[in-house]
Amino acid sequence: MKAPIKKLIRRLIHPGRGTDLSSLWGLIGIVVLAIVLSPSASDGSRIFLQPGNLTDILRQVTVIGIIALAMTYVILTAGIDLSVGSILALATGVVAMVLTKPPAGLSYGYAIAWAILAALAASTAVGALNGIVIATLGVQPFIVTLASMIGVRGLAKWLTGNANIDIGFGQDVAAKFAAIFHQKTIVIGSYAVLAVIFWLVLSRTVFGRHVRAIGDNEKAGRYTGLPILSVKIWVYSLSGLLSGFAGVLYAAENHQGNPNSGIAYELDAIAAVVIGGTRLAGGKGTIAGTLIGTLIMGVLTNMLRLNNVDSNVEMMVKAVLIVLAVAAQGKRAAE
Amino acid sequence: MKMQAWVAGAMALAMAGCGGSSKTAGGKKQYFVAFSQCNNAEPYRAAQNALMTKLFAASGDVKLVIDDAQQDNSKQIAQVETFIRQKPDLLIVAPNERAALTAVMGEAAGAGIPVICLERDILQPNYTTYVHSDNVEIGRMAGQFIADYLTKKYGTAKGNVVEMRGLLGVEGEISRESGAQEIFKKYPGIKILASPVADWLQSRAKDRMTEVLRVQPKIDVVYGHNDPMAIGAYLAAKELGREKQMIFVGVDGLGGPAGGIKKVMDGVLAATFVYPLCVEKTVEVGLKMLHDRAFKPEKDYRLDPVMVTPADAAAMYAKYTVAE
Repeated sequence: MKAPIKKLIRRLIHPGRGTDLSSLWGLIGIVVLAIVLSPSASDGSRIFLQPGNLTDILRQVTVIGIIALAMTYVILTAGIDLSVGSILALATGVVAMVLTKPPAGLSYGYAIAWAILAALAASTAVGALNGIVIATLGVQPFIVTLASMIGVRGLAKWLTGNANIDIGFGQDVAAKFAAIFHQKTIVIGSYAVLAVIFWLVLSRTVFGRHVRAIGDNEKAGRYTGLPILSVKIWVYSLSGLLSGFAGVLYAAENHQGNPNSGIAYELDAIAAVVIGGTRLAGGKGTIAGTLIGTLIMGVLTNMLRLNNVDSNVEMMVKAVLIVLAVAAQGKRAAE
Repeated sequence: MKMQAWVAGAMALAMAGCGGSSKTAGGKKQYFVAFSQCNNAEPYRAAQNALMTKLFAASGDVKLVIDDAQQDNSKQIAQVETFIRQKPDLLIVAPNERAALTAVMGEAAGAGIPVICLERDILQPNYTTYVHSDNVEIGRMAGQFIADYLTKKYGTAKGNVVEMRGLLGVEGEISRESGAQEIFKKYPGIKILASPVADWLQSRAKDRMTEVLRVQPKIDVVYGHNDPMAIGAYLAAKELGREKQMIFVGVDGLGGPAGGIKKVMDGVLAATFVYPLCVEKTVEVGLKMLHDRAFKPEKDYRLDPVMVTPADAAAMYAKYTVAE
């Protein structure tokens, strides 16, 4: 466990040694800017640096951040997953439905575990289905996941009868669930754990090497006997699983199962991955980069809001940032 | 590296252009009022923003900041959290949805920030005061208007009604529907021919109404759960030359050239029901809270809906139109 951390730190200090972390400088630049421009609290301290504000940022990026972890794998295989927002909506619906009508005779702990498992099973099943169709029928990932983005949204709305399922604040099992999974430590902690797992799997395991190799050159992978079929199915299943888990956290945070939630989240997740330096054509990219990309978006949003910049201007600034960040990486790679 | 410098430069420029100054002339205390709006894209919400900006500007000692949550609960929670860090003198929240905003508004109130909940309810009373109207009552008023119209037309309350429904599952839609149903149940002669769902949108209402018109030869009243849907239904009927055979009733009653009151003046709608913006009361109570620390607002201010018919539309138009 210690060696990889040392290596990560080394890589952060010396980007370019195998890992391209030029986006790290972008993050540092934005953090510095956010500190400089931060408005002051009544005691003169900078609001941006208050622990409460910094953990706000981490909590706020968690849902997109978790989706972006698995999205990195998908994009590394030269794929794309447009269905993540719909899967998130499905998971919020399933978890809230089970919690508001828990199976009789289960204690609170088991009922909550059962609800989360049901949501994760449903979302992983959708992801696996995406992967199976992509891998066996050879249909483009864009088309397959576009179809499931539409279909799964329909499924979520149909399951919930178009209505939100509210999770209240009482003493029932649903309220208990929200009280637990709404806490900052749980939310940020689970993001951190998942990030470490996804980083280790990508950088330390054979599976991780296969993910990269497929995106780099699928044909060559086929000739050298890589298990392309199973790797693809795994990657899309993981994307479904993490989108589902993000949905569980979303349901707790928002106190509801909401079939209309997560619209356009796939674009935010893809933006975070791409800003983090992962090549959209596959083969090249890192989890550390995706974490940085996610944080860049989060810090930027927080900085603009603390300064009360118009939210329409916020969108324009983000657009400029995405293009500049990717252009900078392209230049670096060419150098 | 050069590129990163560019990014930073571009953003510094953007900030310099947009971050307003908070200093005020004359050394008078300036109050910071933060307003978290759930969705600027709806005309009703845009009208709220315009009126609130105007009224607070008139007070002279308030700096108002409006954030748009773009109909996204998570986004709105994040925005309210950021406002809490900024410690405004007054926080106004128009919650996107009940359950989602309850906890974070509780955090704001817990941090000692006075909170006004605007128009939509939340699950627990995590606010200093709540300013709102009543959608069930507006549904009842619309239902009664329709029953009275049919009684006048046929001598007894009977006839065929088409309802254009908003986004399903939303409180406004449920209440405007159930309020009208309460009245219709009293008159067995009134028949609901169809209740297509048009998600509050004029263009979608026109398509759905066209389909209904192809199937139903005899329609007396169209009740749109908002004005744009009633107008969309009118446009569909007009295209088929049938707009004179029926009347169109809407809800919202916004002022301005694009609002429903103007459509009553133009003879498109037979009536609309003003669902109050709730902004005048909010600003009145808000300013009192800012200026007088001892002032204790009531927990709940309920504003009555208002009916607009051709007879008083011109006067109502003047009253409900916010001058730029």
